[in-house]
Formats: sequence, structure tokens, C-alpha cells
Amino acid sequence: MVEKFVGAGLSRFEDHRLVTGEAKFMADIPLPDCLEAAFIRSHFAAAEIKSIDTSEALKIEGVQAIFTASDLTNIEPALTRDFYNLTPEFVERHSVELRAYREPLLALDRVRRVGEPVALVIATDRSIAEDAAELVDIEYQELPAVADILSALDPDAPLVNPEVPGNVDATFEVSVGTPIRNMPSHLRQLFRTFRIGRSVGCPIENRGVMAKWDPEDSRLTVWSSTQIPHLLRSYIAESLRSETEAIRVIVPDMGGSFGGGVYPEEVLIPFAARELGKPVRWLEDRTESLVNARHSRDLSIDATLLYDDAGTLHALDLDIRQDTGAYNPFGLTLPFNIASHARGPYSIENFGARGVCVLTNKTRNTPVRGAGRPEATFVIDRLIDMAARSLSIDPAEIRKRNLIPSDAMPSDQGMLYRDGAPLIYDSGDYPDQLRKALDLAGYEDFRERQVEFRALGRAVGIGISCHVEATGIGPHEDARMTVNESGKVLVYTGSCPHGQSHETTLAQIAADELSVSPEDVVVYSRDTDLVPLGVGTFGSRSAVTAGSVVQQASVSLRERLLSLASEFLECAESDLVLQGGKVSPKDAPHLGLSFGELAKKASSQSETPLSRPSDLALEVEERFSPSAVTFGSGTHIAIVEVDTDTGLVTVLEYFVVADCGTIINPLVVDGQQHGGIVHGLGNMLLEESDYDSFAQPMTTTFLDYLLPVALDIPPMTVLHSPHPTPLNPLGVKGAGEGATASAPAAIANAIVDAVSPTPIDLTEMPISPCRLIELLRPSI
Amino acid sequence: MKNSFRSHRTVSLTVNGNDHSALVASNRTLADFLRENLELTGTNLGCEQGVCGACTVLLDGRSVRSCLTLAAQAEGQSVTTIEGLSKQGEPLHPVQEAFSRFHALQCGYCTPGFIIAVLELLDEPVPITRDLVRERLSGNLCRCTGYQNIISAVMSLLENET
Repeated sequence: MVEKFVGAGLSRFEDHRLVTGEAKFMADIPLPDCLEAAFIRSHFAAAEIKSIDTSEALKIEGVQAIFTASDLTNIEPALTRDFYNLTPEFVERHSVELRAYREPLLALDRVRRVGEPVALVIATDRSIAEDAAELVDIEYQELPAVADILSALDPDAPLVNPEVPGNVDATFEVSVGTPIRNMPSHLRQLFRTFRIGRSVGCPIENRGVMAKWDPEDSRLTVWSSTQIPHLLRSYIAESLRSETEAIRVIVPDMGGSFGGGVYPEEVLIPFAARELGKPVRWLEDRTESLVNARHSRDLSIDATLLYDDAGTLHALDLDIRQDTGAYNPFGLTLPFNIASHARGPYSIENFGARGVCVLTNKTRNTPVRGAGRPEATFVIDRLIDMAARSLSIDPAEIRKRNLIPSDAMPSDQGMLYRDGAPLIYDSGDYPDQLRKALDLAGYEDFRERQVEFRALGRAVGIGISCHVEATGIGPHEDARMTVNESGKVLVYTGSCPHGQSHETTLAQIAADELSVSPEDVVVYSRDTDLVPLGVGTFGSRSAVTAGSVVQQASVSLRERLLSLASEFLECAESDLVLQGGKVSPKDAPHLGLSFGELAKKASSQSETPLSRPSDLALEVEERFSPSAVTFGSGTHIAIVEVDTDTGLVTVLEYFVVADCGTIINPLVVDGQQHGGIVHGLGNMLLEESDYDSFAQPMTTTFLDYLLPVALDIPPMTVLHSPHPTPLNPLGVKGAGEGATASAPAAIANAIVDAVSPTPIDLTEMPISPCRLIELLRPSI
Repeated sequence: MKNSFRSHRTVSLTVNGNDHSALVASNRTLADFLRENLELTGTNLGCEQGVCGACTVLLDGRSVRSCLTLAAQAEGQSVTTIEGLSKQGEPLHPVQEAFSRFHALQCGYCTPGFIIAVLELLDEPVPITRDLVRERLSGNLCRCTGYQNIISAVMSLLENET
């Protein structure tokens, strides 16, 4: 029996360099004579720029250049909208209206948010650049700003962008089954407005960009902490009016990300390097990061749920309003993700959703871990708990009555997904998952313990949330694979990690197909010169797309190895066996050729008698294009205690049953679950990027924007109940974001359960201790 | 350096067992000194505001934020950074090994700071409980792991001791 590596909890190959300090993050890369950059950013949420005077700053010794918008005459930000070209059918069916989108690289005559870059100072070191930035004199004429959705939608509101009437930038409409207005009037109805606060991705490493101009090749090498090196390469090339081949993007070791996209800094630093003919580096600081990057969520959602006296759900209707900030690079991605996930694993035949992206004078909204799923799950799972309470049904029982039964799978949801394919839950067993989760958490026992807690005056409660998660979106991922003369298997793929363990998990996949040890597989994924095409790591897509293409390419490489060995050994392929890095005749293992020997022979093709040498080169390229997203799912149960004097919530225990399909490496998948839960916990209890009514950011350090710490976390128990998907050869589903989807809802439901019988209407995320006290004691 | 208005001073200290003496700007942080003067880039900067703990190093055995400590304040003292735990080619330090075995890191950016904080914790002359581990590591932020595997890695080291 050959050892299988898919499914094994191998320690990661990435770890050694990371635990020893040998890893090379952006700030660690030595680049001789590198200049340093500092950005001058707007302090106003809305203002006209009257004048910019750089003369004093330019006198500082060490200052090399100061760029303002008027210096950017020969470049222009590329037009972006979404990573996906929405299909005409999708646009028609879901009544999509989208504006073309261009975010200025540097503000010319108007700033639209605090933090918007106005000028770029380049100096011999960062402190000089920052000191010089202080001396640049910018005269602003402040304008009225809009800081939230309601004020932006007021007919008299100032326009964030004169080209966007009514501050509404993108809209869509989804209608499945009977519209809610035509539903029978005897049904019970719940209506709530949910507020989802603005949160920030907050990787522990800030962003960074470095660029070097090579005049001999007329090429720019750009290092960036990005999730999408190939898309960034195209964006830079188009913006700088350069050939794509003239840009090389390299991604160093990356200290997390949690949210993607391209940013103006990623064009401006390469531009400066080209203009000055010298390497330039910009390292974002924490305040810049908290104000400018990876803001997400920030929604107001009106939701109506129709259900009957038996607790059966009949219809859900949503009005989704997203505070998009001043620019909208992701179009309707987030609100449409909410519509796509709003019904979760529940059977709700009639569904309507209308989404609008509302411009405000805040930082742009981008997808961050979960990207619409936590918001959608919060809304439906809170509503279901409210419905249960109105009928005096236990929250577990109402879910049992409404989860899509396993014999109704796959389940067509009657709408399209963002990729243009029908939205179909492809596989899974949601009722079984709930049963397992209730057992795991000891749900029935808890109800007895709860009585004892109450007798002691302790408010302890339990909350359930069930989610689905679309994972592995296309359009494709590519892989090139080869064998070198030392016999190592080399994998090149465009999906570029920032903590996801590609070097280990992709090696496990290749090792199984090629019957080698994962240590003999080397994964390259951080350099656009090594892999011609790639898409990136986001949307829980890498295991699905990169994993599948590596599997495909491994199969092709295996065929090449067999074919080549067959020629050299003069032996039929069917009589050959691959094992331990060798291809050998089944009956004469000692005559086998090692992968290294085959590589040597393949590279000296003149010695071979083969008529079609190109077919036998030991190099293969494959592309995997998923036909549709595959749906992971999870059931979460949280047990929390509320201090009803202070409003402090402590999560005591946490249980998850997850369906991530085939598991490549359980250590890695559990790690994603833990991290996702705690991200969701932070979003529910601690994190909010706050703005005042003038659209001034209030949370600009980690002392104001609180991330969960070790003391905030409960023991987490994760159980897997995998249902491999038929949509890819490995049967894998994405695992990166699902846990974030349910954690806020499970914790919120547990809070409400803990303080019952005092009824609270918990419709907001996050909930601070102060707000919880207000809900508990409205008279205060 | 170029800015004449900055005062400089000579700092002598020991880093990972090696003696160093250097002329540094008075306002140079210990983190920048380690990273730029000594090219010890294993100490990572996450906030430069003293909150995230990524830049934690030991100064005479006590953990400090190297972003909030001036190089000059380390005069005459002994600094331990992540590079001091296992030299190239040597086996990993037990804390490093446990972090890998328990998958206590994902992106790994916060990891050197955590490992240094664990070193200090393991030196405590008090019984180390799970709750004490949670408390002592709450000065370090991690966005990837959710902390559980970090705590498990530390607890495994205690089990080995007894």
C-alpha cells in the first residue's frame, strides 16, 4: 500500500524559515541604494485642493523628488471594475448597473476621503521623507462630507463624486419565486434593520511596495505584498502604459492579508522608480494601514422574513445598502455575495434582494475574510432565532425543520452566482451536520446546565449558526510542472500564498500522483516571471483551483515520465511502475530510471531516438477552470457568558462541524477554522473602524481598533464531516473563510440566549459592552 | 548620517551572545538597530506603537518591545532575538519545534515575537497554567491562528518538562 499524503497532517515546509527569522518579508529584502517613500495624505474627508507648494520640502538634504498629480501626465490609473467580467446574462437577469471605475493615483484638485494620497515624497531614508512631507504646504478648501449611508442617500446630500448622482454607484436585483408583496397574508412576518459595522482586515504585517527599474531591459521589477501578482502586473502595465512583459511582480513572504485588491501605491512606487532610475521602497505604517487598507463590511440591511406557525420559513427579502466609501473598485461584489449567501443552508423558496453601493467620504470598501458571508449569515441566523422565540420553539428545532434535506441536494438556488453560473449548492448534508454539532456541543445537556447557571445568577447562553460558503471561484488557475536533474519535482503555480501553506499542501497533492515524498516537491508561486498566468489567492479558492490544476498537471507529468521511461527501457508503459522517485519495470526494479536520470535524458534529446521530442520533454502545463463554485458549509455553536452589570461577553466554549470536502492537510484546515472563528469573534465583539459625523476616522491605532488576543478566545473544538464535491478531481472545497461566516451569528445568538428571559433585539455587529448594556436596560 | 541635527552615541551591547559596539543616532530604536545595523531581520515590526508585540525581544532576559526601546537604552545589556535560538544548520530550539509541530503559525509574521514571549514565560518560577499562558501571550497579536495552537504548543513544552 502506497502512503497517501493527501489527508496527512504534515508539519509545513514553510515553517523553518518563519520560526528561525530567516523568512524575507518586504522590509527584509536587501536592495542596495534603495530610496524610501512617504505619502502625504489628505486630513480632510472632502476638500478642494487650492495649491501645493513643495519648495521648502525640496530643500531638505536627502530629498530626491516629490510627485504630485500634476507630475503624472504620462500615466493614468487602469480601468477596473471587478476581477470577473460579469456575463451579459448575469447583468440582464439580476438588473445590474455598474459604473466604470477609476481611482486617482494622486488627488488632483479634490480629495474625497481622509488618507487619500496627495503627494509622494522620495528621499534617501524614510525619516527624511517623513520630515520633508511635513514641509509640503497644501492649501485645502474644506467641503461638506457624508459619513454614513443615510446621509449619503439624502436627496440634498453633497455628492462624493459629481459623476455619481445620488451617491449610488452600483445596483442589482435578485428575485427568486414569488415576490414578498404577493405572498399570502396569513404568514407571520419579522422585519428588522441590521447594522453591520466597518471592520479592517489587519494583517500583522502592513503593506509594502518596492520597485527597481532596469534600464538595460527597460523592465520594472516590483515587489508587493499582494494576493494577486498577475492581476497586479496587468494593472501596473496598463496604468504605466507599459507592456505586460516589461513588468515582473514578485511577492515576498507575506505577513497575512485577509483582503485583496490593487492600490494606488502599487502603481506610484514603480512609477517613481522608473522616473528616478533608482530603486524605491514604501513601507506602510500601522496608522496608514488602519485608515487606508482593507476596510470591509459596513452595511445597513432591511430584512423581512415570512414564516408560518409551525416555524417553516417561506420567504426572505433584503434591501442591502453598502457604505462603499469614496471609491468602489469591487463594484457589487460584497452586496451580491450577501444575496448569494443570504438563505444559507435553509430551504427558503421565495427570495428577493436589492443591493446598492452607496458612496461616502470614507475609505473604499473591499472584500475581507468572509466577504459578505458573515453579514448574510448574521442576518438570517438572527432572524431565525427571533422567529423561534416568537413561536417558543428551540433554536435547534426550528433549524432542523428548515435545513435543506440531503435528498434535495444538489440544490439549485434559482439565481446566478457572480461567475455567471447557476448558483447551486453542489454537495453536503446540512441536517446531519447540525445533529453532529448538537452532539459535539452537548446541546441537550447544556440546557440543563443553563438552569443551574441561572440559579447561580450567571447569564450563560448557547447560540447556533449554520452557513454555506461559495468557494473556489474561477476563472482559472494554471500550473507548470517539471522534474529537474536532481530528481526534484518542481511546481509553478499562479496562486500566491500569504499564510495558506501552499508549499506543503500542493506538494502533498503532487506527491500522491507521482509516488514521491512531499519533500521532493518544490512549489514556486511568488513570481510572475516563473508562471506566465495566474489569478491569485482569495475567496477560499486556492485548494480548489491551484490544488486541482496541480493534481491535473501531476497526472500529465506521470504520463510523460512513464512514456519517456518506456522508450529508454524498451518496455511497455503498462509494465512500468512509478515508486520512490523512479520508474522501473514491474518485474525488474533494479533496472529502473530515477526521475533525475529521466530528466537528464529528456534534456539531451539528440541522444533519444524519438521522433516527437517536444511531446516527451519533462515539462507539462495545465489549466483548471472550474465550471462553478463549490459550496462548503459549517455549523457553529457558541457558549457565552454575559456580565449583565458591565455588558462584557466572554465566549466560554466553541464548537464547529465543517464540510470542507476532501481535506488535504488537517493541521492546515483546522488552523483556518480557528483563525476564521477568532476573526469572526473579533468582528462581533471588538472590532469597528469608527468614523465621526465629519467622516474623520477615529480608530487609527491598535489601541482604538481592538483585535482579539489569547485571553479573548475559548477552547475551540472542530469536527469534520466532509462531503467531497463532484466539481473538481480532488473533491476539495475552500476552507479559508467559512469559519468567519458563522462566528458572529453564533456568538450573537448565544448572547441573546444568555440574557433571556430579558428580551433584547440584537441586530447589530459588533456589539460593545456599552451597547449591550443599553439594550439590556433601555431606560438608562 | 545625513541629518546633522541628530545627536549620536556609541552603544555597546551583546546580541545573541556576540558583542557589538556601534555609533548610532540617539533616536534609533532597538528594532531598527537590530534590523538595519546588524541585519537581524527576524525581528518584525507590526505597529511601531508598542501594541502588537511582533517586535518582542529579550533584554537581559525580560521581554521588551524593540520598537519602543531605543538602542541606547540597551547599553551594556544582553539582547536575545529569534536568530539567537538556533544557529543555521543546528536543530530547532524546542519552542520553535513545538510551534511547527502544532501548526502554531500561518503567515509567521508575529511568530518571532511570540516565540520570544514564550521563552520569557517558560523561565517564570511559578506554576504555568493554561490561563497564565493565555494571559502572558495576550500582549502579542496574531491574526491567522486564533491562538489555540500557540497555546497548545506552549502547553506541550510544559508537559515534556514534568
